[in-house]
Parts: sequence; C-alpha cells; structure tokens
Amino acid sequence: MTKKSPLYNLQKELGAKFTEFAGFEMPIQYSSIKDEHLAVRKSVGIFDVSHMSNTWINGKEAEKLISLTTMEEASRIADKKSQYTAILRNDGTIIDDTIFMNLGKRYMMIPNAGMADIVTDWINQKAEENNICATAENVSDDFVILAIQGPKSREVLQKLTDTDLKTIGFFGCQEIEIAGFNCIISHTGYTGELGFELNISPVKNAEKIFKEIMKAGEEYDIKPIGLGARDTLRLEKCFMLAGNEFEGGRTPLEATMSWAINWDHDFIGKNALLKQKEKGDYERITCLVCEEKGIPRHGCEIQKEGKKVGIVTSGTLSPCLGKGIAMGYVHPEYREKDNYLDIIVRGKPIKAKVVKPPFVPKDWAEKN
Amino acid sequence: MSDEVRNDLKYTDTHEWLKLEGNTAKVGITDHAQSELTDIVFVELPEEGKEVKKGDELCVVESVKSVSEIYSPVSGKIKKVNSELEDSPETVNASPYEEGWLVEIEVDDTSETDSLLDADSYKKLV
Repeated sequence: MTKKSPLYNLQKELGAKFTEFAGFEMPIQYSSIKDEHLAVRKSVGIFDVSHMSNTWINGKEAEKLISLTTMEEASRIADKKSQYTAILRNDGTIIDDTIFMNLGKRYMMIPNAGMADIVTDWINQKAEENNICATAENVSDDFVILAIQGPKSREVLQKLTDTDLKTIGFFGCQEIEIAGFNCIISHTGYTGELGFELNISPVKNAEKIFKEIMKAGEEYDIKPIGLGARDTLRLEKCFMLAGNEFEGGRTPLEATMSWAINWDHDFIGKNALLKQKEKGDYERITCLVCEEKGIPRHGCEIQKEGKKVGIVTSGTLSPCLGKGIAMGYVHPEYREKDNYLDIIVRGKPIKAKVVKPPFVPKDWAEKN
Repeated sequence: MSDEVRNDLKYTDTHEWLKLEGNTAKVGITDHAQSELTDIVFVELPEEGKEVKKGDELCVVESVKSVSEIYSPVSGKIKKVNSELEDSPETVNASPYEEGWLVEIEVDDTSETDSLLDADSYKKLV
C-alpha cells in the first residue's frame, strides 16, 4: 500500500494532482510544472518532501559509524553543519546518496524516498560487524520535511522566526523555531537556488507551518510545488536522482561525485573506487543539450555515428532553456565538452552537444 | 473545473476527438486530455501520405514530464498535419478543438466512425 504524507488533504485542497513515487502518493503538480518551476527560479516555492527519510545515528561512536559507512570523515563536519555524501557497497556502487546533519554530536541522516529501511539495516549491520557502539534508527514516520526554495525563500522564512537566518550558512543546520514550532532547519535543497529544508516533528505541526509559510510568502506569489517541477529543477542543475542515476549499480566516480569523496579516511567501498580510478576507463555522467527538437527521456540510447556510446538516465524539456536536456552515462572517449552526440528518441537521432554542468547558471533569473 | 465536450464531435475512450466532413476527418485531443497533460511542449506529427489503421499510433504529444501516444480513431491516409504545432505545441492546450487540431485523415470507410462515442457518452467517461 502506498503511504500518504500527513499533508495529503491540504495538498488536495490546493489542487494537487498526485503520483506514486517510491511507495508514496505525492503531488506531481498543482498548477503547471512550468509555472511551478519558474516560480522557484524567480521567487519562491514550497515543497512537501516527506517521502524523503529521516534516520538518527545514535550512540557514542556515531561519528565512527558514519565515517565507515559513508564517503565522509564525520569528525571533519563541525557542529551545526551538514554534508552531502553517499553510502557504498563493498564494490564501490552506491546504495544511496544522502545528507547527514551534525546537530551537536547528534547526527541525523536523510536517506532517499523508500531507502530508510535499506540504509538503516545496512548501517546497523556494519556497526555490529565492526563492534561500533552506535545504531541507526529509522524515524521517517515521525517527520515531515518541507523545502522552501527560491531567491525569496529566506525573506519568507525570516518573517516566521527570531533566528537571523543569515547566520545559517550554506549547508548549515540547527534546531530553531518557525511559526512557534520547533524544527530542524538546514540551508540545503535540490533546486540549485537559495533555499532551506525544515524537518518537522511531531508531524501534526506541519500543516500549520505549511499554511504560515504560504501566508508569509503571499507577497512573493509563493507556490506549492510538486515532484514534477522538483525533477526539472534538479535536472537543470545536474543533481543526481537516486532511482535514475544510480540505477543498476553505479559508483560515485561514474556519477561524477568525486568532489564528495574524502579519500583521507577508510570507508566501505574505498578500495573498489581506488581500483576503478586507476583503471580510468569507466562511463561517466555527461550533460547534453539538444540542438534539434525533441525531448530525451530515461533509457534513450546515446550514439556517435550510429554506435552506442552511452545511455540517458534523466531527460526533460528544460523550462528555463526551452530545449531538451539530458544526463546520461557516456564512455570517456566521447564526453569532452562541445562534442556532438546523437540521442535516439523513438528511433530518430536528435543532435545534442556535451556541455559542462549545470545546464542553467546561477544568474539565470536575473538575466531572464 | 469542468472540461469542455463539444456536441458536434465524435470521441474515443483514449481522449481523441474526430470531426468528419465528407470523407475527411480532423483529429485532435480533447479538452480533458490537454488539461490532464498540461504544459504540452512537443508534438511529433506523422508524415503526410502515411496510411494508418484505426487504433494505430498517430502521433506523440509530450508534456514536460510525460510522453503520450495519440491513437488514430479511424483508418485512412494522413492528408495534412498541423505543422504550426511544431513551433507552438502549447496551442494544443490553448485551443484543443480549433487551432490545436493534429491531423486530417482521408477516411477509408466513413461508417467506421459510427462506433465512436458521441458527446454524451464521452461526458460520462470524463
């Protein structure tokens, strides 16, 4: 059975159309994906992302457990800071990408939708095997997560709290009061815009907070945003979507996440990554912009002169660029910038150019 | 919000409409279909002269998120396609029954349209 967010009824009232995603019935869109997308790029939007998971890492050796099971050395991450990382199998492939927050020697991890049990079981198994005095606890049902994203997001949230939000830097996190309720805020997001995420518990407070944010955002035409625009927003910034980009077992080197690998410590999967790095001949995530009409989609073949050189993992029409854009795994020989490749859409080749990420630059809204 | 269903058209249960004039049928997608899809951003039209059978894929309409096949309500030959849609696919959203038509088909056997839904039956469906 699919799960519903505690905000389901409110979303229905707001006119949401729903879709099933990773076992959750979540809003796909309210008004239009395009309008919602542009609202976030130009002003502000609010997302219910309760399908994402919450996991506490408890115990006196929590730091050690995170360092073993992720690509990051947890002791490097200061209090009130969070970190993007990934949890790997022994062979270096990604189980999940995640953010963990250091809330003052208390760690919260945010695994992807539907990944809470898999991640929690994996981490607990590794704790046991390595005699580490810490445990992972899946508390996803106790939390609602709201994302407030867009250039006006800080102004909107600032109206609802006494904490000066400018003191929370990028990837900062802490417990604060929003609209009179306690929550964990982090200066993070999945849109490439200025933005914050609120982890709210107990979940019954979420509806009130959501409504207060909508009210505070009225002057900026705040819009509720569905998963449709969440996907196009992240894709324009070349952010990975676990179900797409990690499908079939991909390593962080293949997913071009080497910037997030902390090589200075030992972690599960490290040896496999070192071997792959040395070999060097692996496919890598590559960003392609279509130069002809057509919209690439997940699973489309990427060719060079009729020969298969890769596969599209995510594709869409970019609402900002008005062109088809795609991310996919391409053999290293063919992924140099400005190279032309063909994406095969319904049997027909669409000419596409390799570009550097992101598709949509930071200053897009100012210029458009 | 109620979707417009026009009395002078025939419909399919896959949300195409058809308007027969002589032995030429104009085909498009219904107001309900365009409103479900929202934000139509790409229409892939067939080649003029192509023979289609009833139920064959006629063209493809894409929204930002989804790809939808449009099926031919009749058998015949593609007489004309609405090439305006190549540059302004959003016309299908704005005017599904007028400027947003998709193709004209020279119908093999006009009696084939008798089995399509009338406006009242289609209304019950949406």
